[in-house]
Amino acid sequence: MARAGLTRPWTDRRAERTLGAVASIVLILIATMVVFVLAKAWPSFAHNGLRWFGGGGNVDDQLKAIFNSPADPNKYIYTLHAWPLLYGTALTTFLAVGAGLVFATLAAIFIVEFAPPRARAVLEPVVRLLAAVPSVIYGLIGILVLVKFVGEHLISEGRKASVIYVIQLSGSSLLVAVVILTVMITPIMIAIIVDALRSVPRGWVEGSAALGANRWRTMWTISVRVARPAIVAAAVLATARALGEAIMLSMVSGSVGFAPNPLDGLTFFFEPTRPLAATIVDNAEGLSVKPFGQTIYAFAAVLLVSSLFLSLGGWAAKQPLKRYAVRT
Amino acid sequence: MHRMRLPAVILISLVVLTVGVPAASAKVATITMSGSTSVAPLAAKLAKGYLKIKKNKGKVRFKLAQGGSDVGVADVAAGRVTIGNSSRDAKPSDPGGLVFNPIAKDAICLITNPSNNLGNLTLQQVQDIFSGKTVSWSDVPGASASGPISLVVRTAASGTQDAFQKIFMGSAKVASSAAQKASNGLVQQAVKGDRNAIGYVSLDFVGGVNAVSYRGVACNLRNAKSGEYGGVRNFWMVTRGAAVGAAAKFIKWIQTAAAAQRIVATDWVPLR
Amino acid sequence: MATATPPSVPIHATPPPRVVGVSWRRVDRVGVALCWAAGLLLCAIAAAIVIFMLIQGLKYLKPSLLTSHPVSDTDQSKTGGFLDPLIGTLLLTVLGTLIALPLGVVTAAWLTEYGRPAWFARAVESGIEIVAGTPSIVLAIFGLLIFQQHVFSFLSFTAQGNAVFGRSFLTAGSMMALIALPLIFGSTREALNAIPAHVREASYALGKTKIATIRRVLLPSARTGIGTGTALGMGRIAGDTAIVVILLGATLQLQGQGSVPALSTLRGTGSTLTSYVYNNSPAGEGNAPQKAYAAAFVLLLMVLALNFAIDAVARGRRTRWSR
Repeated sequence: MARAGLTRPWTDRRAERTLGAVASIVLILIATMVVFVLAKAWPSFAHNGLRWFGGGGNVDDQLKAIFNSPADPNKYIYTLHAWPLLYGTALTTFLAVGAGLVFATLAAIFIVEFAPPRARAVLEPVVRLLAAVPSVIYGLIGILVLVKFVGEHLISEGRKASVIYVIQLSGSSLLVAVVILTVMITPIMIAIIVDALRSVPRGWVEGSAALGANRWRTMWTISVRVARPAIVAAAVLATARALGEAIMLSMVSGSVGFAPNPLDGLTFFFEPTRPLAATIVDNAEGLSVKPFGQTIYAFAAVLLVSSLFLSLGGWAAKQPLKRYAVRT
Repeated sequence: MHRMRLPAVILISLVVLTVGVPAASAKVATITMSGSTSVAPLAAKLAKGYLKIKKNKGKVRFKLAQGGSDVGVADVAAGRVTIGNSSRDAKPSDPGGLVFNPIAKDAICLITNPSNNLGNLTLQQVQDIFSGKTVSWSDVPGASASGPISLVVRTAASGTQDAFQKIFMGSAKVASSAAQKASNGLVQQAVKGDRNAIGYVSLDFVGGVNAVSYRGVACNLRNAKSGEYGGVRNFWMVTRGAAVGAAAKFIKWIQTAAAAQRIVATDWVPLR
Repeated sequence: MATATPPSVPIHATPPPRVVGVSWRRVDRVGVALCWAAGLLLCAIAAAIVIFMLIQGLKYLKPSLLTSHPVSDTDQSKTGGFLDPLIGTLLLTVLGTLIALPLGVVTAAWLTEYGRPAWFARAVESGIEIVAGTPSIVLAIFGLLIFQQHVFSFLSFTAQGNAVFGRSFLTAGSMMALIALPLIFGSTREALNAIPAHVREASYALGKTKIATIRRVLLPSARTGIGTGTALGMGRIAGDTAIVVILLGATLQLQGQGSVPALSTLRGTGSTLTSYVYNNSPAGEGNAPQKAYAAAFVLLLMVLALNFAIDAVARGRRTRWSR
């Protein structure tokens, strides 16, 4: 009794093709995304060449000029030297990942080794809770509490006056951005490092203890060393997250495309900046003006290529992990 | 066989609905607006008042987005919205074919922190302060604050920024170190929170801050209406070509009906 | 001659208490102190965030806020609630998950069960990892790019000037699906990999085809893992702001497009709790921090409840495979 149409049992070949087709949709989507974004961004890079990545001029003024380009396509303005934005992105990302790595490793060691059992039962949900908080809430607390605090109590008038010719200091600053970003990316790293520390072969730990090393020594020289690939993988993941964080940073890092100057000493931390992702969010309404839209897509292209490289790096970093069968 | 029927039925009805429905829904006119954050509250109130008129109920719908005057102008030129709200005048760099319909007038007030009761500013003083030539409050006569001046301005896409530039600054450029905010409310809040701040807002945002007189004339609704206050600018509803259909009726209602003028007069300056 | 054990050490001694001994080097003790500091700091930060949001939320949250529509007004702090953003969040979460779930499960099933040719399988895996690592703002801009093409005009609406608006629940939901996809994919793959080979072999031995095995045996057993991944994905969707700000049209109230009830809302614009909080904070245009706190509190409760549910389910049901 043959049943026609959709109800005939599928052959394996048909099923494989269908499922494979769905899987290829995902692949096509991603390829389309990369191609489209790069294609849309190309004019901005073409007009500026390598100077796109360099410095020179006030990047906000340049963006304003691009936005106000005349309507004639031949007279579109594309000039952009995006160094302050790239520098701001690199600063916030690397400072946050660096601080977060130290914090996360120490906290992970604490959770795995030194925490009393009751504290451990509290800490693990706490880490999951911190990882689940939406970034807009971090931004809200940042802008309504931390920015106000830094602006009113940590920035003195003298400090403001010392840089008044170049930039205005308010509470929105590199400091607040890095602090909140660190808090945001640390839970992810803690989860990965704890997993890796727990997967260290028991025999190694016990052997070390039998040789007379105390618990800290064992943890530091054996477990953390073995977990090094996991720490690298965690750092890569956290970097990707920090790079892509747009909303929170647009709320607290200051809305000026300014490159903080390390030569300013401590004031360096109080200067505002605006990473790439935050720039995209702040300027997203101007997308309809053609050259401006292409410039924004150029920012997105830089972010996309960076995250592509990070994914590659993450994959490479995770390879040694497979030796110890750590779940990634 | 039976198991396959139900999903097929659902699929077919979904397709029919998606494709067939747009043809049937043309009765309700939708007016989409985007643009100035300063005009948006006025536009929302006018839309509400327009819908209260009995013959408009169910025939017209409004969609209001924001983004800044420049965004509104660009959107309406590209055909993405019906009306663009603009709080700045037409610029030569605007796309061609746009018609700017005036709907109301608004005053721009200079504001300082409540603790800084600066009484008056002249044109030259405003230009010097906002261009960064004067950097300390001790150089400004009448200011009770001391220390470096914190400038709070609007972002580039803002019509208020554009109007401020035209009315107050002229050819002088606003200092690039000024803090840029995305809306009147944010400027108001920034000035409220910083003792040394000075900024400018639309007339309806002077609550809780010190409004500075300009050229000896206080910034309030009465002076703006009478024309004495110098910092007055127009609100426009921009259309691509002359307005047609529901948008034309709406704009005509705003410009001529007494009820509309009453709505405008609550916080803004009516056209006549 | 047996050697005598030292009399002071009993044979079945209890192990020494696990404390940081005084005999440890200074460096080691400093290390342990730092670890304790890190752990306590972590707790302190989490407690501070939760308690602060609790205080502010309870201060500003009124039941009327949850049921009244937001109103566009110059003084946002006095009018309106956030019913529409609340509905928007729920709608977007469900929509995004509905799109991501079949895609993720099917792709994971294909990868674990078939996975041929090998280069294609690796490409798909890398592709999903790339999506996982892409910032959501880039996904949002990409969404704007493709959904403003005329081919996709049925997903949002076409303005009078013949330009596609490109911003609606459907477009935002599609991009949100990309955010949840890697999580659902990963969990499903893990769950399917955890099913031992003998289950599959038994099914084949009984004469079932591979696809029937997947459909009837493997996927139902992987339900818990799929559920965990789905809930994780929903949590991420609910908390995402960048895509909403760019792709949802930023109208305060839900404004439908067309006259079919459900479809019109989907093709229309609106806002979600996240974009509502963003707009009412000093970074957006609404300037009503009290409302922002109230909405943020509700959002936080929703996300925490979701994570709590994930934990409870993941702890409860772990399928045991008998050998």
